[in-house]
Amino acid sequence: MALPIPAEVEAVFREFRTCEFSTLAADGTPITWPMLPFFRPSTGQFMTTTSIGLPDKAFNIRRNPRVSLFFSDPTGSGLINPARVLVQGDAVAPDEVKTSIGGFENEVMLVYRRQPSGMMYTSNPAIRWFSDWYFMRLEITVTPRRILWWEHGDVFSPPKVVETINVG
Amino acid sequence: MSLARQRWLKRSMWAEVQRHLREFSSPILTGVDGDGYPVSIRCAPELDEAQRVLRVSLPGWTRIRKGPASLLCHGHNDLLWNLRSFLVRGTLEPAGGETWLFRPARFVPGVGIAGLAGMVRFALAKRRTARRYLQRRGLARPRIDWMLLKAMQARARQPSTPPPLPE
Repeated sequence: MALPIPAEVEAVFREFRTCEFSTLAADGTPITWPMLPFFRPSTGQFMTTTSIGLPDKAFNIRRNPRVSLFFSDPTGSGLINPARVLVQGDAVAPDEVKTSIGGFENEVMLVYRRQPSGMMYTSNPAIRWFSDWYFMRLEITVTPRRILWWEHGDVFSPPKVVETINVG
Repeated sequence: MSLARQRWLKRSMWAEVQRHLREFSSPILTGVDGDGYPVSIRCAPELDEAQRVLRVSLPGWTRIRKGPASLLCHGHNDLLWNLRSFLVRGTLEPAGGETWLFRPARFVPGVGIAGLAGMVRFALAKRRTARRYLQRRGLARPRIDWMLLKAMQARARQPSTPPPLPE
């Protein structure tokens, strides 16, 4: 189901290289790290992954599904004066370790195109031994519940808001 | 932990925050809103050396609550490289009007701020975390299909292939 958002917001979802992804730790602290998000227009959801070497995001989601994705850094996106977007939603992170790229070919290709230096992690046997954990991934799916955006990035002005989104 | 050690750790953490914060122009402050969801905003914190707090201005739309919060600094270049990041855990309290105080409690290094030695330590620690994750579930360490990844990389290098978009 398509999200009720303008094309300029969808362009941000498609083109921004990273978003700031927040989950809630056991003590309630929001923990935020940059992530590579993949927007799926057909469902209106976001897919991302995390390594089992960095599993806290998944643990947090299994305890409390409330998350947010903040699209605030347009570096590398090619967009001129894009909107800034905050997505609040509910996430799931099944306990299934994925090492196959089956089903994720487009996302893997996109990452290598956008981050060509990332190819160094597979460049020789020593580095592969050192970084194999990075390729053992947990899938995270985020269903948006509220989207806020600022057309020209001034986040101190009141945002445009879409509430209680029914997708997923 | 002794009081003296606690004081030393707090001084050390504040020094780390001071040292690294100046390398980033607009950190991301994240708190929790009235519905219990994380809410993030780019901010321009002012360091209050005397109180060892960061003073930030937050607009009313955030509906942010007093309580746990964090501050993320990160950056990358146009090709998603030269990654740098760190996080500061802490608490947020109102200080009148749109002004809030972020009280740092813990400095969490991310990537790219501790040199090569830091990167090696980071990778080895994450390798151990991955091993524990698998051991606790009785899973063998999976083998990665490196050849398939290399084949994907070769395809990604071809300029004539139109860039795919997920779905």
